[in-house]
Amino acid sequence: MNFKKQFREGLLTKNPVTVQLLGMCSTLAITTSLFNGIGMGLSVTLILICSNVLISALRKVIPSQIRIAAYIVIIAGFVTVVDLALQAFLPDLSENLGVFIPLIVVNCIILGRAEAFASKNGVLASAVDGLCQGIGYTAALVVVCVIRELLGAGTFGGGILNGGEGIRVIPEGYPAMQLVMPVGGFLVLGFVIAGSQWLMRKLDNRKKDKEAAKQ
Amino acid sequence: MKQESTLKYTLRLAVTLLLITSVVAAVLAGVNFVTAPIIAQLKAEKLQKAIEAVLPGGGTEIGFTDETGLVSKVYAGEAGYAVEVNPNGFGGAVTMMVGIDKSGSLLGVSIVSQSETAGLGAVSAANTSAGESFRSQFAGKTDSVAVAKDGGEIDAITGATITSRAVCTGVNAALDCIARMG
Repeated sequence: MNFKKQFREGLLTKNPVTVQLLGMCSTLAITTSLFNGIGMGLSVTLILICSNVLISALRKVIPSQIRIAAYIVIIAGFVTVVDLALQAFLPDLSENLGVFIPLIVVNCIILGRAEAFASKNGVLASAVDGLCQGIGYTAALVVVCVIRELLGAGTFGGGILNGGEGIRVIPEGYPAMQLVMPVGGFLVLGFVIAGSQWLMRKLDNRKKDKEAAKQ
Repeated sequence: MKQESTLKYTLRLAVTLLLITSVVAAVLAGVNFVTAPIIAQLKAEKLQKAIEAVLPGGGTEIGFTDETGLVSKVYAGEAGYAVEVNPNGFGGAVTMMVGIDKSGSLLGVSIVSQSETAGLGAVSAANTSAGESFRSQFAGKTDSVAVAKDGGEIDAITGATITSRAVCTGVNAALDCIARMG
């Protein structure tokens, strides 16, 4: 288990959103304000860590042929428990995160990592994988959120800063409102994925040049 | 080594899956048992708060006739009535509470739940100055309301005409319902 490697993978080379293309639905739907991005990212990270740990602990017990059904039952049950607990004991937080929690059940990232990593690795490594993938997911969300909110609504920090209104950067009437609509989601996400590919290629080339220079 | 028979193999898979689902179901039932009453209590409190936001002193549920199909509940209190309406917004139904006094004029509007676009239609429900200035426009009105684009007096939220229209539709349905009561 290499923490640095897993972190780098989660953030860039195996980013769940920009490289693995998982969890697209939630990314496109909720990335309209900074609060949404951070809230969803943190929720998914928490549940990802817990579900990875649980499935990793049970990996020797669940027969391979029924693993997908078992994972889905465990993940859905777990998310429902978290949802009910939040509604009962932390109602304000539940109100703010409202739609995100049920959305996590259908978030492919949880099932994807359970299948690709947690079912084949130890509990600690799976927990770290959950953390790193979750951080990568949150980072991708935040980048898309900031761009969409800034250029589409003209504010920064919506839902968090300035009492919920966000700091107005572009005066009203000028922002490209379509960016906050679904079409904007697709466009911005496409550019972010392209940007991430460009970044990875650049880092790769730099690494190759370094190795060539050594020889 | 004896090969596992197909029956035994299928049985093993089925039993394991049954065990997993049973444990998960039991945990869910347990959590639900503990949390359900708490959640119901919180919902009732939230409803009372929503009623009191538009109808000082609260109210109790009464029967009603509704032609628009948008009214779901009517509460009567000392200050007048609180009507729960569900017009269709941009992203689905918008649940709102409309307060109307005994003479038929609007006391206020509050949005109970909505799934409109953040920063646009969602402003109608926000506790921000923009949201409050939008909702306060309705107080005192007696006749049906409409956004300026449709020839009315209400200033719609910038970039959220559909949501603003939905709120007006909800208010009109509430006014109509109370007017029918006589």
